[in-house]
This record gives sequence, structure tokens and C-alpha cells, in this order.
Amino acid sequence: MARITLENIKKAFGKVQALDGISLDVRDNEFFVLFGPAGAGKTTILNCIAGITMPEEGTVSFDGKIMNLIDPAHRNVAMVFENYALFPQMTVYENMASALRSKLYREDEATIKERIDKAAKMMKMEKLLERLPSQLSNGQKQRVAMGRALVRTPNVFLMDEPLAHLDAKLRNSMRTELKEMQANLGSTCIYVTHDFMEAMALGDRIAIINKGKIVQIGSGDEIYYMPCNEFTAELMGDPQINIIPAEFEKNGSGYNVVIEVNGEKLKKELPEDKAVFAKIAADGIGKADLGIRPQHIRYSFEPAEGYFKTTVYSYESIGNKSVITAECGKYQLRMIAPNGLNVAIDSDIYLKPELDRSILFDSDSKKYIIRYDEEAIRAFATKEVK
Amino acid sequence: MAGLTLEHLYKRYDNSGKKKKTVNDYAVKDLNLVCEQGEFVAFLGPSGCGKTTTLRMIAGLEEITQGNIYIGDRLVNELHPKDRHIGLAFEDYAMYPPLNVYGNVAFNLRAKGVDKNEIDRRVREIAPLMQIDDLLDKMPVKLSGGQKQRVNIARAIIREPELLLMDEPLSHLDGKARQAMRVEIKRLINKIKCTTIYVTHDQLEAMSLADKIAIINFGVLQQFGTPTEVYDDPVNEFVASFIGEPPMNILETTIIKADGKFYFTFKDSNLHIAVPKRYYSVVSDGFRCKMGVRPMDVLVGGPDSDGTPEEIATFENLGDERRIGIHVGDVLLMLITEDEKRYKRGDIIKLEVREEKTHLFDIETGDRIREK
Repeated sequence: MARITLENIKKAFGKVQALDGISLDVRDNEFFVLFGPAGAGKTTILNCIAGITMPEEGTVSFDGKIMNLIDPAHRNVAMVFENYALFPQMTVYENMASALRSKLYREDEATIKERIDKAAKMMKMEKLLERLPSQLSNGQKQRVAMGRALVRTPNVFLMDEPLAHLDAKLRNSMRTELKEMQANLGSTCIYVTHDFMEAMALGDRIAIINKGKIVQIGSGDEIYYMPCNEFTAELMGDPQINIIPAEFEKNGSGYNVVIEVNGEKLKKELPEDKAVFAKIAADGIGKADLGIRPQHIRYSFEPAEGYFKTTVYSYESIGNKSVITAECGKYQLRMIAPNGLNVAIDSDIYLKPELDRSILFDSDSKKYIIRYDEEAIRAFATKEVK
Repeated sequence: MAGLTLEHLYKRYDNSGKKKKTVNDYAVKDLNLVCEQGEFVAFLGPSGCGKTTTLRMIAGLEEITQGNIYIGDRLVNELHPKDRHIGLAFEDYAMYPPLNVYGNVAFNLRAKGVDKNEIDRRVREIAPLMQIDDLLDKMPVKLSGGQKQRVNIARAIIREPELLLMDEPLSHLDGKARQAMRVEIKRLINKIKCTTIYVTHDQLEAMSLADKIAIINFGVLQQFGTPTEVYDDPVNEFVASFIGEPPMNILETTIIKADGKFYFTFKDSNLHIAVPKRYYSVVSDGFRCKMGVRPMDVLVGGPDSDGTPEEIATFENLGDERRIGIHVGDVLLMLITEDEKRYKRGDIIKLEVREEKTHLFDIETGDRIREK
């Protein structure tokens, strides 16, 4: 296993700058997730590491050794793709043995068998070894594809959306299995996905990629609770975070944050943070965007102290809970509610946003300014595993 | 008045090439269903379960092997699709590319020879409802997936159908657009109060949209009920595991009797869970069945808990919630917690189960075993 370092990687396809100065340092035995929307450049990064794509600028190194000129076969990376890429005429056993029997490895059959048996046990597919790929379900095929990567002892596993083809249920159970497998294996793994749950569940660290650039790198908790901008905040969480307009109002030496719910004002004093106050004063920021997650809005169907009157725009069950969307005048707010409520569309609902759980963003640059409970979050949030 | 009635509906495709005839030759088998006027009903099931076949029989696009279909009070078995007064919105939008949005929406009315002013009135009435007022002059190629689907639905409802049929209308859209469109469809149906059948394989979509869900598997109706009913009170193991994400934990169990009380026990595990009293009349010492419990009803006990100590096999922090997996024999028992505490693999927790929320299923048939 190896430490993978990328320095200032650039790659263009025609006029499109696919990668625009990517620098990463993936530690030995780390599970590192590349996460972002379609077309962000995630797969191109993976291909640069594997040697399938040549970057125009920048270096790729394994354990400090520059690999740019080494061809893919000699980089000793194991790739797992979305579409499995199994040899259809070979049994599962032969598929898994194929790399080890190749010129590069030429392992003897006893060693091959030993390694396949071990991988098969780990992937719970001992009973599938004699089957052909056509006799496997999609979930089993993906297991074989991973098993095939596992029997080698590569510098790094590169996984490109390996679960994307599976239906929602299988994807979630495979994700859990993969997590267990990774823990057993202790290996460097770089994993591409556009599913935030996969990113959160699997990654020791996550790099958010957008338009060929790195937006943020951190543990799942850091990215979920302290997103560096609105783009990242909106990627993490389902239903999505609410982002609504807010204002700063001077209050003694500090500031209040003011939001308007259906014409009524709600204020909350900002936590003391000199640097943030100085920034607000210096930039003369009057406006801000306030991000608040759906689970941090309280509601009542009766008028109550501190609650604002709004109307129900929609009520949707999402399995073990439901989402109420409320019409608040200039914007809508999504919030979490239990299942089985009798909520009529366009009926009244009273809301109380817990502003002390909210995040403030600069309304021009969309960048993170502060969150009220930053200190409390830092106390429990997982920093970086390992 | 019922909006739609299906009576002993069968569909059998001609499989003369196959040697063996089995029950599974029926794409739809003895389907009985009554949808009330104005009700929003989802047909839910895995691919190949017969839900689209049923929809196509209702629409008149597929012949009926046996049984009756009534729209309102009219028996429509022999009616041509155009005389059934139905609106269709399918997964692919199938718009007329040389016509602009207005032309596409108006097309069916023009074909029927409706008066020009009347057409214009109806298009202008429906456009704001579907939020396509600004798009009327645009050509289909200029529209996003979400916009196309809006136009598609507008086209279906402009005919003021007695019955609206939708087949996976959101499956082409990406996550965000899908979420937004779901809300819009729900509001729309609520406003126009048209009886609607909505085919989907996505349990989340069915749960969030429908007044009632018909769950179908292998051409057979499994359960027909409100989202809450199918979630809380499933009739069998299939429904229990199909509805909900993550799915219900279902484990094989042997019930034992100790000190006058019954407990669920599991192979290769110390876990034991008290059997709710209401089941005492149907279980006995050594009784084997399956036990089902939703991940939300499995809890991490506090320091004073008398729950069984178990080792964490997987811990997933998903931001909004956290999921813990525990090995019970060779099954991974999942639980969901919104507690902020971070665990890691190997930590020991005390596992508690909300006993009242457990379900029993027959080990062979998967049917729910109910208290007597």
C-alpha cells in the first residue's frame, strides 16, 4: 500500500479544462473519497492516478516516487469500475485469477488459489466461484469485480462509482459491506461517488470536487457541519439544507442575525468571534445567507410563543419520517416531521427555526462565515480518522 | 362512486415456446382493486411484477385475458383507448419536436376539433398550474428534463380525463429535480382532484405521493393500503422488506420459554428479545419463525440499560443520521440513531429493541403471523 500524492494536476479535453490544478495527499491506508456532481472531474483524477490519462501539468507520485512516465500496468493499481468489466467466458474463479496468471505476476496456482479463497471468504462469495458472470446478479458481479481487485496486493485500489448501477437497497447493503471489508483490509483506497451517503459513510476524508477544482477536503463531519461554501452545504444532506436570506444588525460590540418569516422578524445574537466581527465590519457586509438543516426547524399546528405563522406547501412521507415544506413568503422551508400526520396542503403551520444551529454564508461569495454552535460541533465531530 | 374498479383481472402472455406452464405465466393474476374517486393510488413493485402491464390494460393498450375494468361506472373492457377518457404521462416524454410547448399541449384538443378559443382558454388555465406559462413559445429541444415532464403532464390533464395514468414519470430526472417535481405533482393532483394511478418501483416515491399504495409482486397484489398501513402493518415479509430504507431487519428466530415468559433467540448470538404478550397465544416453546423489526425501533441503551451487550460491526455516519450494524449470526442487524455520539467498529453497546414493534412472519410462506 502506498501514499498517493498529486501536485497541481492539469488536464484539458479540447477547450474544456477537466482538471484545473488538483493537489491531493492521500495517506497510506486511507479511504479517500472524491465526491462531486457529474462532470466535476472525479473520474479524470482517478484515470491520472492509474496512468490511463496523461496530465498536461503536475505530478503523480506513489510513496514520493514520481509515476508520470510509468505505464499503467507497472503502477500496480487495482481498478473497480461501475460496469464490472468481467470476462464473460470465464468463471468467477478464472476472472479473479486472470491478473495473477498474467505475465506481470506469474503466480503459481497454489498461491493463486490461496489468495482467491481468502478474498472469496471476505466477499462472502465462496459459493459463486464456479459460476459464469451471466449467472450472477448485479450485486454479485460487483462483488466479483472487487474480489478480483483484492487478490492482488496493489499500491492502491481505485474505485469508480462501483455501486452506482445497483438498486437503492442493494447499494446500501453493499456500502455497509464495503465499509466492513475496508476495515478488515486496511488499504489505501480512492473512491469516486456522487452519492453523499456513500461519501459520508465510507470516507476517512472526503474531497469535494467541482469544475475540475477541489472545493474542500475534510472528514465527513467537518464537511457536513462546516461546509466551506453553499455549494458543499447543498450537496450534503437529504432533504437539502434550507438557504434563506438574512441580515446582520449591529448590536453593541457584536451583531445580530435577522431573518424574516412571512413578514415577521426573528433575531439572534451572533456568538462572540472577534475575527468574524472584524470581517463583517471591514467588508461592510449587511446581508448574509443563512443555512439551516431541515431537522433544526420546529413546528406546531397551534399558535405558540416564538413560532411564526406560515402555510403548508407540501407534506411528503420519506419512509421512516416525512418532510413538510412551508411557504414563508419570500422563500420556502423544508423541515422533518414524523410519519402519519394528517397535514392538509395550504393549511396553517407555525414554525420556529432554531437559529443557534444555523450556518451563515457570505451572500456574495457564498463562502462560510460562521456557525452558531461551531464550538460544540468541534467537540464531538470526528476530525480525521487514523 | 369509485374512480376505478379492477375485478378479477388476469393477463397472460402467450408463452407457447415454453415447455412448462406455471402460475408465473400470468403477468397479472386475479387482481382486485377499488380506487375511490379522486384518490391517488401508486402501483409499487420490483421490475417485472406486472404493474405496468396492469396500467396498460387500464389504458387499453394491452388486451385483457380475463376480468373487468370499470372507469367510474363504465365497463371499458372493449372500449378503444381514446374513448376511455384517460390522460397518460409516461416516462419518456414523447413530444412532437416540430411543435412548440403550446402546440404540444393543445394537440389533443385540436385533434378532437375543439373550438380554438376554448383550446386557448384551457391551455392558459393549465399553464400556470404546471408552471409552464413562460415556456409556451419554446421548442421541446430547449427544455430541461423537468420542464419536459411538466409539459407532458399538462398535455395529459388538459383533456380533463376521468382517470390520469402515470408510468414512472420521474425516473428520468436527477435527484434534485425529482424531489422538486414530486412536490409539484402532489400539489397538482390535490388541486385537480383527478383519480390517478401512478406506477413506480421506488418505494420512496410511492410513500411520499400516494393516498394508497398497491404493492404487487409476481403479478399478485400483496397489499393495498395507505402508506402508514403498509409501513406499520405489512401483511407479509415481502411488503415489510420492500417498504422502508434501510429495510426492516428480518431474522430467523427460535422462541424459547423461560420463567413463564417467551423470548426471541437467534442462532450464534446472545441476543434475546422479549416476545410481546399479544403473541403468547400463537407461540410456544421452540416455535420457529422470522422476526422483523425496523432499524428505527432498535436502540442503543443508556448506561443503566439491561439490553444485550453487542459489538458494533459497522458504523456509518451519514450526517443527518448514523447507522450501526451488529452481527446477529450471519445477518447484519441495522439500527438508525440521530444521537450525535460517534462510535467505531468494535465498540460495545447495549442493544434494546422496542418489543411492541416486532412482527412475526411464517418461516416458509413469509406471511405475517398475527395475534389471535
